[in-house]
Amino acid sequence: MLLPRFEFHEPATVEEACRILGELGDKAKTLAGGTDLLVNMKKKVVAPDHVVSLDRIASLAEMGSDNGTFRIGACAKAVEIAQSDAIGTDFPALQGGAAKLGSPLIRNLATIGGNLVSARPAADFPPPLMAYGAKVVLKSGNGGRTVALSDFIKGPGQTVIAPEEILDSILIEKPESYSGSAYIKLGIREALEISLVNVAVFMTTDGPDGPIKAARVVMGSVGPTPLLSPAAEKTLLGEKPSEALFLAAGEAAAMDSKPIDDFRASADYKRAMVKELTRRALVQAYGNI
Amino acid sequence: MKKLICLTINGKEYELAVAPNMTLADLLREELLLTGTKKGCELGDCGTCTVIMNGKAVNSCLVLAVQASGKEITTVEGLETEDGLHPLQEKFIENGAIQCGFCTSGMLLSGKALLDKTPKPDELEIRTAISGNLCRCTGYQKIVESIKDASEMDPR
Repeated sequence: MLLPRFEFHEPATVEEACRILGELGDKAKTLAGGTDLLVNMKKKVVAPDHVVSLDRIASLAEMGSDNGTFRIGACAKAVEIAQSDAIGTDFPALQGGAAKLGSPLIRNLATIGGNLVSARPAADFPPPLMAYGAKVVLKSGNGGRTVALSDFIKGPGQTVIAPEEILDSILIEKPESYSGSAYIKLGIREALEISLVNVAVFMTTDGPDGPIKAARVVMGSVGPTPLLSPAAEKTLLGEKPSEALFLAAGEAAAMDSKPIDDFRASADYKRAMVKELTRRALVQAYGNI
Repeated sequence: MKKLICLTINGKEYELAVAPNMTLADLLREELLLTGTKKGCELGDCGTCTVIMNGKAVNSCLVLAVQASGKEITTVEGLETEDGLHPLQEKFIENGAIQCGFCTSGMLLSGKALLDKTPKPDELEIRTAISGNLCRCTGYQKIVESIKDASEMDPR
């Protein structure tokens, strides 16, 4: 299976990458981990004249905490996120998403930024990141902009990124005390699976035994983009955590989901799974507060 | 236009001119005739093209040869040393963990990447480590046992 011909660029800095992309515009595609782009090029879905690799840009591979904000470079590999103690401690749902993506071989190549820009409705990174209210930093020759992840993804394979922009990094705020989160992916098998349904949840309680003061439920694979469930959030806010409350939130989330019948499963089944996965994820999240 | 790359494969340094659209799998097989690395799906699903790149097992069909510049690659040809076969290879043979053999090099390299980091893995760790490698003969049990047995041998 041959790759189409292309010219290869290997900028060493973000600035250089922005300059090259500014000149080439939509004749170029950005290469991060390659686990989506190279597959699509082999299948002749895309055949860019130029490929701009971000592999050699050191700043894009870094991650770390600064003043309560955790920055993840767009080219951080899924394996690094899955194995990061800092992420495991503060962002368990994100770690869960990273650990469920593809296979170990894919996780050793695939990047968090690539997963966001590919914008597949069943992708593993967007739901947990949206549950944490993540923002993405875009850079171009004209400067940069910061966009909420929920505004970044527009539809299957569609994002607001312009041809001359690169995704530089993902920013997530360190959660307050008494916060918990979880990610659950439902598939038919454990590895190399595309989610039938996935759910990420985040909650903060007011002290150890207090009511819920912040909550987000994000559902993947049940709409053109990962969906935030406003009804589930409304159900949870101000209430004391309980099994019954989590079940009610699951029912609310199912009402907000917009699944379609496809070869993976029926819409009815997916909706039922949203309900159950939301309930289970909330139980898990409450457990890790 | 071809690009000049330098990389280390099985301990040997190479300087090569490669087309940008050549994958690492094709470089190994077609240019260097290291045909122990197999090509199955060529889309990252089957794992037969697994090699170890800078300590990590990857699908060489999803890495451009130009991206491998400066990296250290181990293929199945690099497992045997002057002391003989790698413990994994010995155990695969002993246990009959090879049926048609097409997945074997990928399984060996995913197994090696695991043992290099986790010398005494449990069964779940082994099964997870090879979860990107498909065996169409479905001989997983013997493969898992062989990796386990190799981990219990004295390191050489």
